[in-house]
Formats: sequence, C-alpha cells, structure tokens
Amino acid sequence: MSKHILSAYRISRRTMLRLSGVSIASAALAACAVPAGGSAAGDDDTPEQARVEVIATTSMPVNTFDNSLERAKEQISHIALEVNANGWGAGGWDGYSDTLLTRIAGGEQIDVIMIAIEGLGLLADKKVLVPLDDFLMADPPAQDILQNDVHVTLREMLQVDGQQMEYPFSWNNMVMYYNTAIFEEEGLDPPSNDWNWDDFLETSIQVSRVSGGADDRFAYSFWGSGMFGMAAWFFNNDTSPLTDDWTNSNLLDPKVAATVQFMADLILEHKVAPNPEGWDEWAQFHAGNLVMRTCGRWCIGSSLEADFDTYDIQYQPHQAGPLRTVAGTDGWGISSSSENPQEAWEIVKLLSSTEASLDMVQLGGNIPALRSVAEMPMFADYGPVNTALFYESLDFAATVPSPTNFNIIEPILNRHYATIWNGEKSVEEALAAAHAELQPEMEKIQAA
Amino acid sequence: MTSATRPDRSIASKVRPRPRSAVARREAWAAYLFVIPALTGLLVFTALPIVASLVLVFLEYDLLTPATWAGLSNITRIGSDARLFIIYGNTVRLVLGATFLNNLLGLLLAVGLNRAMPWTLRYLLRTSIFFPVLTTTASLAVVWRFLLTQDRGVVNYLIGQLGLDPIPWLSSSGWALISATIYDVWKSCGYLMVIYLAGLQGIPVVYYEAARIDGAGQGQQFLYITLPLISPTAFFAIVISLIGAFQIFDNVWVLTEGGPGDASRVIAMYIYEKAFRGFEMGYASAVSFTLFLILITLTLLQFLGARRWVHYE
Repeated sequence: MSKHILSAYRISRRTMLRLSGVSIASAALAACAVPAGGSAAGDDDTPEQARVEVIATTSMPVNTFDNSLERAKEQISHIALEVNANGWGAGGWDGYSDTLLTRIAGGEQIDVIMIAIEGLGLLADKKVLVPLDDFLMADPPAQDILQNDVHVTLREMLQVDGQQMEYPFSWNNMVMYYNTAIFEEEGLDPPSNDWNWDDFLETSIQVSRVSGGADDRFAYSFWGSGMFGMAAWFFNNDTSPLTDDWTNSNLLDPKVAATVQFMADLILEHKVAPNPEGWDEWAQFHAGNLVMRTCGRWCIGSSLEADFDTYDIQYQPHQAGPLRTVAGTDGWGISSSSENPQEAWEIVKLLSSTEASLDMVQLGGNIPALRSVAEMPMFADYGPVNTALFYESLDFAATVPSPTNFNIIEPILNRHYATIWNGEKSVEEALAAAHAELQPEMEKIQAA
Repeated sequence: MTSATRPDRSIASKVRPRPRSAVARREAWAAYLFVIPALTGLLVFTALPIVASLVLVFLEYDLLTPATWAGLSNITRIGSDARLFIIYGNTVRLVLGATFLNNLLGLLLAVGLNRAMPWTLRYLLRTSIFFPVLTTTASLAVVWRFLLTQDRGVVNYLIGQLGLDPIPWLSSSGWALISATIYDVWKSCGYLMVIYLAGLQGIPVVYYEAARIDGAGQGQQFLYITLPLISPTAFFAIVISLIGAFQIFDNVWVLTEGGPGDASRVIAMYIYEKAFRGFEMGYASAVSFTLFLILITLTLLQFLGARRWVHYE
C-alpha cells in the first residue's frame, strides 16, 4: 500500500529538502514553546506553580511517596511536586550517595534530597545541602515538632557542625528476628533481652539442620558486608571498625578481630550460618529455612507481603561493654542548587509529616522519627509482639560510623570481609589488609 | 608500478576538473544533510568524550568541585596501583576464556544448526540459543545468582544428588571468575552462533559437492572447506568478542560484584568504581586509556595476524 502512495505522490529532492527545512524550523519553534503543564509568564488563566523535584531512595515503600504526591496536590497546590526515585546502586547508602552526586554533577535539577546519616557527611562535604536552621527559625511549628517530637539522638545525627542539615523522617536499628514456630518446635524459650554470644551460639547449634541437602535449615545469617549490618555485632562487643571520632581505622583492635572471628566461625566452624554471598535471607527466612536474622524494622515489609507472621524480635546478643544498638537516621534536606528553596521546605515538611510516617508504618518500612507516631497503636499493629523494642532502644543507640568518605571505606571493608567468610584468609590477615587500605583513606579526610 | 602506468602529471595538470552541475551540488548537500545526524552523534558521544578523557588524565576532578592540575600524577600512579594489576590479570583470564569459549561454542552450534533438520526444530533451537542474548543481563544474572548460591543453590543441589561436595561458585576466589565466564558464554555464544551461521550459509554448496565427489569425508570437508571459507567471519567474530569481553561490566557486577575481594573484578568495573564511586575522574581516565591502548594494540595485532589465516574468496 505504501508503494502505491509513494508512486502516486513522488517527492522530488528539492521538495524533500524544503520539507526537511520546514520540519527543522517547526521543531525549533516547538522547542521554544512553553512546555505543557508549565506556567507561562503573563498567562493569567494558569496559576503559577513552582516545580520541586524530590530525589529519594527506591528502597523506601513506594506508597510513601505516591500518597505524598497526592497530598501535595491537595494541600500545596502551588507546588508541582515530582518524586524521582534513585536506586541503591551497588551497596546501600554509599551506592545511593554516589549515584545521587553523579546526577547532581550531571546538572540534574534537584530540590529536595533524601539521605541517611551514612551519606550525609559526603553530601555536606560537597556542599550539596543547605542548612535548615534558617527555615526552622522562621517556622516555629516545624521547630517545635523537631525539638519535642523527635528524639535528640535522631535530631543530632542529621546535624553537621551544629547545623541541622536534614529534617529527620525515619530511622532504623538492628535487632534479631527469630522464627517463633521453630523455637517452639525445638522447645526453646524466646531469647531474653540480655542474651549473650554464648546463648546465641547454643541456640544456633540447637536449631540448625545443615547437611548440604535440599532440606538444610540454617540457624542464622548475616549480611557479611555493609557498615550497618556489621556494626550491629561490633557495637555489642564494645568496638567498631573506626575510632569513635571516625577519623582512623580501628581494625587492628583485638575486639574487632574477636567479633569477626565469632561471625566467621558461625559459617566455617559451627556451620550454622551460610556464606552470605548470593544468599537470599528474605526468602529463606519466610520459607523456614533460616531461623534467625539481623535486620531493622524495614524487614517487616517483606513479611507483611509474604503473609509471614510467626516471628518476633529481640535485641542483638550482647558480649562486652555497655549495651548498645546501632542506629541510623534518614531525612529530607534541601539542595543547594534548588531554585525554589522555600517551596522545597514546604515539601520537606510534607514528606516528614505524620501522614507520610503513617504510610511508612503501614507498609512495614522504617521506624518513624516522630515519637507520636511510634507511640500510636498502629505502630504496634504492624509489627511483631515485641515491636516496642524498636523505639525504646534509642536511649542506648550509637550512630553507625559515617565519615565523609563512607562511600569509599564501606566497599573496602566489604571486599576484605568476603575473603574471611569464604575461609580464604584468616581474620588477622584480612583485617590487616583492610587496615592497610583503610587507614590511608582516613588520613585523607584528616588532611582535609 | 612501472613508469608506463604512472599518470602524466603534465597533462593532468592541464586538464581542468569538470564544473559540477547544480544537480550534483544539490545531491552533495542532501548527502551532507543525511550524514550530519550520525556525524553529530559520533562527535558528541564518542570523539568529545575521548578528548575530554585525555584532558582529565592530567587533572584532579571529583565532578562537583573545580578541577585542579595534577600533572603526570595520575599516570605515574598506575605503576604503583597493586590492585590494578590483579584486576588486569582477572580481565585477561576472563577475556581469554570468554572469547575462546564463545567462539568455539558459537561455531559448533552454528555448524550443528546448519545441518539438514526439520525447520520447526531448527527454528526452536535457534531461538532457544539466541534467547539469552535478547534478555537483559541484570535480570539473568540475578537468576544465575540463585542458581549458583553455595548453600541451597539449585546447581549445588543437583551436584549434591550426584554425591559431590557443593561448589562455592560465587564465594570462592577460585570459582568466581569461572562462574562469570560460564555466565558470559551462556549469555553471548548465541550471538556468535548467528554470525557463524550467516558465514556458513554463505559458503557455496558446490564446494562440498565437489569435495564429496573427490571422496572427502565430513571432517575433511570441515577442515579444508568450512574453516578456510569461514575464516573472514571468524576473524570478525573474534575481534568483536575480544573487544566485548574487555568491556564486560554488568555480568560480573550483578553476579559477584567483583568479589570475593577482587577475585572477579574486571577493568571496566574498576574504572567505574574509581570514576563514580571514588570520584577520581582523572585516575579513572588514566586507567581507561590503558584499556584503550591495549584494545588498539590487540586489534592491530589481530589485523596483522589475520593475513596468515584469514582467506578471502
């Protein structure tokens, strides 16, 4: 059919060139036109909308943002809100920070940024965020919520040099999830909140069934990488991979070696834990092939999806020093490149609101920063029996080590941990190699 | 060339070129117009980044703060970067393994499919083998991670049924790169199969008929007819698969993330990590140029070597 049309309407080269010229000119004119949905200066009929672009992690329950978008349309109609999800990349918040910075460097217009403590130092160092103190001063209700409804630990976690860089939205600690049905089946009492590593090991040996077959049941699995997941163990042995001021490697501390050795032994000696590489603990926990796992509240989300409810939580087993739990907070900040900072501030408040927090609670996401939400009955409804543990641990929470070079040091640690879990290097050997790489990186930030 | 064949310059200099007609000029303009989009793309997305990378080699630049002059420090750093040599070692092993196996399997599969068989079976086999090429690498690699997990992985379950010990496919330094190679071959050999199949189908049947009349067996026909006549195709396939193997990134990234340690980290991943995780654009560019030089050298060597084994009809 097209052949007939072409033969009926033959186009000469001249006509073709003219048509091409007209097309190019039309395209150029079209490009100069006001985009649909935007506001044109002097157009009295269309209310002027300030565009606010939000960048957030894809790992947050998506409805949290979808519902906020709807609320923005209703409550602050003069702002055209757009949520742009940003993947984790490789790793956790370090990969997210890297991708985010690359997008900003690429000239992307971003107004509101979600970031957790792990990436805050890097973003503040790169002057990507503006302090929120002036906005808070001019907005007493928001200041009041921040001062009175947000725990001081969470508030301070998102400060840099005394300036509030982000408004806290949610946070996490790490607790031990355990399968209550298997505990019952094995005649075990629920772990007590003061259980130690010996108790944990004894329990692990009792509940594991590992013979290399299809019906293997592992007692416990851990991430094996990631500062947050590993800190849950280090902190309970009164140590950390970095010094307390986050300026030096602490990997040569014998307590670090003892902690890593304990974890390696779970895999290599006691054979109660799998090598974390490639292991899908989410699916295996719900399938009953894994009895215990360490995770934050966000793991409730997948259990809700899987209709899995035979589980409860307890603090991580403790070994030495004061009782501590690792904690990390995320929040919303305003980009230094924002052309509409005041509107961005409105969005920061909307995204940190009680409604947004409730959305997250119902979807099994993080622990809300707002104490008032965590104290609502709904918070307990969407969690296991011991849910109160999540918020009450804040009183003895310690911040996950998050220096400005977090995105560089976390991959270093992960690489070396992996060679311990597979038994290729001894703990001492791997930690010495990791220290040799880590310390020069820490010295760079000391020099800066 | 003898003197008799040389053009007479004195005459040539006296002959004035024919003036181009208006039609010819318009045609030339039209040709330029058609070429401009492709040329612009080449300049903007290929030539300019190459030049920019070359400039970056001499700078310290983290994307967000102004660049500063670094002199030759990024180049001299290459010599003292112990990880770079380990990673190049991994890359070479992956490239050799993947290029060899992809081409061998691609050729064998093509030869198998070029035989007489019902068209439905041929269609089914060809589609099945080519299917991994069409599917996104990341999604397939996620599936392979599930298959290859040491504990409760499908492959190890099957191995266990044979009474053998589980293999640490992804978690051992010895196996991680092998797993990445196996995955790449499974994913890519279908593409080379199609190329080889096209080459095989271009060989005139008369050669085989003549060989059969002369009493040549199947093996002799393959060695003395198929292989020489498919050598231009093989040359093309080897060149592109070798260059492609040096640029492997996503397969390994999703499958092992370069681990354990650096055991399966390849050069493209390292460049990416230095550029977009460490924000060391200058050093990443310097490492990129080492890859660029290696690829150019290898391709030139292949072209030189091709004179010995590639036969054009």
